[in-house]
Amino acid sequence: MSALQTFMLVVDHDKQEARQIAERIAQDVESKKTTLVDIVQSLGSYINDDDPLLRGKAVSYLTAVIKALPPKFLTRQQVQVLTTFYCDRIEDAGAVVGIDTLQKLDRFTKDMAEEVAKALFENFSTLQSRAQSQRFQVYQLLNEMMSNHRAVLHEMGDTSLIGTVDLMTGEKDPRNLMLVFSILKVFMFEWDISNHVEFLFDSVYNYFPITFKPPPNDPYGITSQDLKDRLQDCISSTSQFAPHAIPALLDKLDSTSQNVKKDALNALIACINSYNPDTVSKYSITIWETLKFEILNAQEDFLSDLSLKALNDIAKRLSEGVTQISDQLPLAQYLRPITKECNEQLREPQQKQAKPAQQILKAASEGSPASFSLIVQVVVAPLLTLYQGADGITKQRALLETLTILFESAITVFGEWTTRTPEVLAENPLLEFKDQFSEILGQALMGTVKEEVSFRISALKGFLRLSTLRDFFHDSEIGLFVQYLNEILLKEESVGRAELKKEAIAALADISKHQPRLIMDITFPAFVATLPDFDDGTDTSYIPTLESLAQISVEKAIFETLVRRLLNKLSLLLQKGQPGSAAYPRAILLTIFYVMNQRKLEGDPGLEMYYDKIVVAMCRSAAATASGKAKNNILSDPTVLEILGRLCNLIVRSLPRSKQDEVTKNIYTLFASPDDFQPVPFAQSTSENQQRTMILSTYLLAGLPADSALPHSSPNISDLLSDIVKRSVNGSEPATQLAILRHVALLANKFLPKSDLGIATSLLESFIPLKTATTTESEPIKTIFWLSKALILRLAPSTTKILTSLLSLLSSPSPQTSTAAARGFAILLKDDDILSPTNGANIRLLANQRVFTTLIPLISSNIREINITSSSETPAPAPVCQHIKPAHLTALSGILSTISPTLVMPELPTLLPLLLQSLDLQSPDSTSQAVRAATLQTLSVIIRESGVSVIEECGHVQSLVSRLLKTAEYTPSSPSLSPNGGGEGEGKDGEHLINGPRLRVDSLRCLFLLAQTPNAENVPVVAKAGKLSPLLPVRNQVLRALRFVLDDPKRDVRKAAVDARGAWLRGVDEATEDED
Amino acid sequence: MASEMQNENPTILSSADLPTRLRASVSHKNSTYGSEFFAFALPSLTDGTVKFSDNSPSPSESESDDDLMEEPIDEQEIFDLISTISDPEHPISLGALAVVSLPDIAIKPSLPNVPDSPLRTVTVLITPTITHCSLATVIGLGVRVRLEQSLPPRFRVDVQIKEGTHSTADEVNKQLADKERVAAALENGTLMGVIAKMMETCQ
Repeated sequence: MSALQTFMLVVDHDKQEARQIAERIAQDVESKKTTLVDIVQSLGSYINDDDPLLRGKAVSYLTAVIKALPPKFLTRQQVQVLTTFYCDRIEDAGAVVGIDTLQKLDRFTKDMAEEVAKALFENFSTLQSRAQSQRFQVYQLLNEMMSNHRAVLHEMGDTSLIGTVDLMTGEKDPRNLMLVFSILKVFMFEWDISNHVEFLFDSVYNYFPITFKPPPNDPYGITSQDLKDRLQDCISSTSQFAPHAIPALLDKLDSTSQNVKKDALNALIACINSYNPDTVSKYSITIWETLKFEILNAQEDFLSDLSLKALNDIAKRLSEGVTQISDQLPLAQYLRPITKECNEQLREPQQKQAKPAQQILKAASEGSPASFSLIVQVVVAPLLTLYQGADGITKQRALLETLTILFESAITVFGEWTTRTPEVLAENPLLEFKDQFSEILGQALMGTVKEEVSFRISALKGFLRLSTLRDFFHDSEIGLFVQYLNEILLKEESVGRAELKKEAIAALADISKHQPRLIMDITFPAFVATLPDFDDGTDTSYIPTLESLAQISVEKAIFETLVRRLLNKLSLLLQKGQPGSAAYPRAILLTIFYVMNQRKLEGDPGLEMYYDKIVVAMCRSAAATASGKAKNNILSDPTVLEILGRLCNLIVRSLPRSKQDEVTKNIYTLFASPDDFQPVPFAQSTSENQQRTMILSTYLLAGLPADSALPHSSPNISDLLSDIVKRSVNGSEPATQLAILRHVALLANKFLPKSDLGIATSLLESFIPLKTATTTESEPIKTIFWLSKALILRLAPSTTKILTSLLSLLSSPSPQTSTAAARGFAILLKDDDILSPTNGANIRLLANQRVFTTLIPLISSNIREINITSSSETPAPAPVCQHIKPAHLTALSGILSTISPTLVMPELPTLLPLLLQSLDLQSPDSTSQAVRAATLQTLSVIIRESGVSVIEECGHVQSLVSRLLKTAEYTPSSPSLSPNGGGEGEGKDGEHLINGPRLRVDSLRCLFLLAQTPNAENVPVVAKAGKLSPLLPVRNQVLRALRFVLDDPKRDVRKAAVDARGAWLRGVDEATEDED
Repeated sequence: MASEMQNENPTILSSADLPTRLRASVSHKNSTYGSEFFAFALPSLTDGTVKFSDNSPSPSESESDDDLMEEPIDEQEIFDLISTISDPEHPISLGALAVVSLPDIAIKPSLPNVPDSPLRTVTVLITPTITHCSLATVIGLGVRVRLEQSLPPRFRVDVQIKEGTHSTADEVNKQLADKERVAAALENGTLMGVIAKMMETCQ
C-alpha cells in the first residue's frame, strides 16, 4: 500500500499516525528520494473522485506533507504551482490549511495572495456551508493574510471588503465571530468604506445585542463579554457609522431587558469616546434627550451611572481643544438644554428628581474646566436666588447640598491644595461667588438655631469642600472656618448624637492635611489653652478636648507639637505636691498613646526624645513613686501605669537595637539607681507599690527582641521564671497580678529557648497535682493557665499532655477549683495584647486547631459519662459532682468564644448536643448567662454559615428551636422568693432574670437566622422546590411563642422579636394552599 | 411593568431629619479610662485588667440596673416599625415621603374606664403624597399588616387617612376599618405580593 493510501485510511481516527506518515514522505522529498511532482501525481485519481470526502483526504495528504517540509525548501515556482493547485481545489478540505501554510513562506508573492483572496471570495457560498471547524480555518487564513499581506487586500478595495462580508454573513459560532469581528475592524479602520457604510455596519450590528451564554465547562473559554467587547470595537470603530449606530443604540434603550440596556449604554459610551468630536456634537443633544429619562426615572443604579458617564464623556469630548469659552461652542449648545432641565428640577430641591438633577450637573460639569464654567455661569446664580427666597430650612438645606455637589465637581476639575497634578490654567468660575458662599455658609453654620443639626452639617460640608479646593479661599477665609469649628467644639453643648461635633473634628483633621499651619496657629492654642494645669476630679471637660486634639493631629508637624505640649503638662502634673485625680494624667497619656499608635514610629526623628522623656524619665519617676520618694502618687495608679506601659512598649519596639539593649538592662531597675529603687525579682520582701512596677517591666519586656540578654538569665532563666511564677501565685492587686501572669507567659513563650522548654514544663507539672488538694485559691489556677497558654501557643511538644491535665482539673471534687479552671479555658486561646504577634510572641498557626481537636472529643465523652452516671443513680445523684457538668460546658464555651467558626463546622455532629445542653443551664447566675451567651454566639455563626440544613442533618431542629424560644422568654425567676428582699433598693425589680436581655436578643437573632435561607443560590432550585422547609413543623409554635415576646419589656428584645417573626412569616413558607 | 406613576416627583425628607430615638449615652464614669472615644479607638484597653480582675464576670452586674428598667412601647417605636416600609411606587420609605409621621401616631388605653387593663389602641394617620392617590388603600393595608405582625396581642391597630389629605378619605377609611374587607384583601395573592414587596425594606 502506498503512503497515500495508508494516510487516507488512518487520517480519520489516528492523527498522530497520519502526521508521522506525512513527515516520513517530507523527509523523502528533502533527501530527494521522491519529488513533489511525484506526490501530486500520486494523488491522481483520488482528486478527481466524485466523493468529496476522498478528494478532501487526498488534498489533506499533500497539505500534511508540505506542512512537514522546512520553510525554505520550496522554490518560488513550486509555491506558485501549489497555490494555483489549491485555489482550484479550494472547495476541498485541506486546501485552506495548505494555503495557510504557503502564505507564511517568504516566497509567497503578492500575486499569489491576490489569487488566493479571489478564490476565497468567489467561492464564499460553498465555504459558508462548511462545518464550523473548516469555516474557522477559512477565517484564520483570512486573518493571517490580513496581517501578512494586508497591502494586497487593501489594493483590492471594495472587492475584498464585500467579499469578506459575504463570506461571514450568517456566521453564528462564537469562536468564528471573535475572528470575524477583528478582521472586519481592520476594514472599518483602514479601507475607504464610504460607499458601503450601511452594508458594513449592518453586517456587525446584526449581532447586537449579544445573547450568547457559554456552555458550562466551555473548552474555548470565550465569554459573552469577549464577544461584546469585540463587537463594541467594531461599532465604535469609525465616525461614519454614527448616523446608523447612535439612533439604533438609543432605540435599544426602550428594551425591557436591563442587560440589553446596559450593553447599549456601554456601546454608546465607546462610540462617544472614539468618534470624532464633530460627530459626537451632532448627536449630543439627541443622546441627552434620551438619557435624561434613564437618569431621572432610574430603574437601576447601574443604568443611571452609565448614562451619567455617557454625559460626562460627551462633555469631555466636546471640550477637546477648547481654549476660549463662548456661547457658540458645540459644548455650550450641548450643555444648554441640560442646564435648563436641571435648573427646572432644582427649583423644588427637596423633591425626588432633584437628586438625579444634581448628579447630572455633577457629571456634566466634571467634564472639563470649560464645561464647569459654562454650567456654573447659568446654574449658581439661580440657586443663590432660590436660597435667599427659600421659605424653609429643608429647602435651604437641599440647596446647600446642591451647591456642595458643584464644589465637589470643582475639586475634580481644579484639584485640592495637596493635589500634585499641574495647576489648571483656566480661572475657577466659582471665584465670582466666593464672598456670597462664604457668607451663606457661615450664616448657616453659625447663625442657625443649634437644634438644626443636619442643616448645619450640610453647611459644614460645603464649607469644607471650598476650604480644600485648590487656590480658592484665602488663608484668612479658611481661618475663619477653622475658628467656627473651634467654637463648635469648645463652646457648644452637643445636641442629639453630637453628629455636628464629629463632623467638625473630621473637618479639622481634613484641613490639617491641606493647611497644617492654620490648625497649628488657630486650633492648637485655643484647645491647649482650655486644658487645666490641675484636675481635682470635678471637671472633666478636658476629655473631649483631648479627644479632639488626638483626632486632629494626623499631620507630622501637629503631631510633634501635640506630644511636646502634652509631655510638658504631664511633667508639671508630676511635680505637683497635692494629690490630684489620676484621671487627667491618664487621659494625657492616652492621648499621646493614641496619636503615636496612629503613626509609624520607626525612623521618626523624635524617637530619641520620646525615649528619653517617656521611657527613661517616666519609668524612673515610677520607680521613685514606688519607693515613696515622689512628690505625689500619680504614677502608682495602676491604670496610669498600664497606659504608660503601653506607650513605652510602643516606643521600645521602634528603637534601634543599641537602645533596646539599654532597655533590656533596665527592665527591672527601671533606669533608677540601686539606692533609690529595689527591683522586684529576687527581692525578699516587696510592698504592693513596688510590686506594681511589674506592670511597666512587663510592657518593656514585651517590646524587646526575643534574643535579648535578659537580666538574671545566665546560665538560663530558670531562677527568674520560678521567682516570677512564685509571685504570680501570691495574691496581689488584680492589675499587678495580671501583669505578673503575662510576664510569666512572655518569658515562657518568647524568651525561653526551645532547648530549655523542660524548665517551663516541669514548673507547670509542679502545680498540676492540685486536683487532689482541696485548695480554694484560684491564683495557682490562673498561673497554670497562663503558663499553659504560653506553651500551647508555641506548640510545645507536651501540648497534648498539658491539655489533658488541664481538663482533669474540671473533674476536681472541689467546686471552686473546678469552676475556676472552667473559666480558665477562655484564657488559653484568647488574643492577648501583650503576648501578641506584634510583640513578637511565638504563636503557631495551628495552635488553635490543635487545642480544639484535642479538647472537643474529650469534653464530649466526659459529659456523656456524667450523663450516664447521673441517670443511672437517679435516686441519689452524688452532690459532689453537681458542678462538674456545668464546668465542662463552661470550658467548652470558653474555647468556642476564642476560636474561628470555620474550625467548628467539621465537628458539628459532636458539638451540637453539647451546645444544646449548654442552653439547658437555665439559671440566673452569671456563669450560666455567660456560657449561654457564648453558645448562642457559636450557634448564630453556625446557622449563618450553613443554615438550617446542617442542624436538620443532625436531627436537632425541634430541640434547638424549643430551647431558643425558652431562652427568649422574659421570666423573672421565682418571684415568690423576693418579697422580703428590700435590701437591694427597689424590691419589686430586685429579682434576677433567668434570661438577661442580651441573651434574649441573641436567641431571637438565632431564630431570625434560622428562617433566613442562607446562600439560597447554592441550593439547586429543583431540590428546594421539591422539599418542604425543615422548619415547617415548628413554624406555628415559633410564631405563637414570638407573639408574646413582642411584649417584652425591653425595646431591643422586641425589635429582635419583630425581625425574627417577620423572617418566619416570610421565609418559612407554609403549604397552606394544599392544606386548606 | 408599572402603569403610569401617579406622583412622579414627590417631596422627600432627608433621612437625617426623620425623628429617631436618642440612646441615652453611656455616662463617662462607666468606662475605666474616662473616655468613650479612646475606649472605642483602642478596644483592647477596656478588657484585660478590669474583666479578669475578679472571677465573676462583673459587666452583667453593672448592666443589671439598666436591665430592670422597663421600656414601654411608645409612638417612636411604632414609627420605627412603619417608617421603613417602602412606597409601592417609589423605592423610598414612607417615613421619607412623610406618609407617616411621628405626631400622627397615638397610643391610648383601649378601655379608659378600666385603668388596669393592658389593652392599647394604636392610631396611625397616613398622609398620601397626593390627594387622589389610589394607592392610599394599599399603603394603609401595608401599615396595618406590619403592625399586626409586629405588636403583641394586647394592641389594637387603627389605620386611617389623615383628615383633609385625600379626596376619598371616607371611602378608604371604611375599607381599612372593615375587618372582613381587610381579611378578604389579605387573601388576594397579588395584593399580598405588593405588600410583601413594600415590607422587604423593613429590617
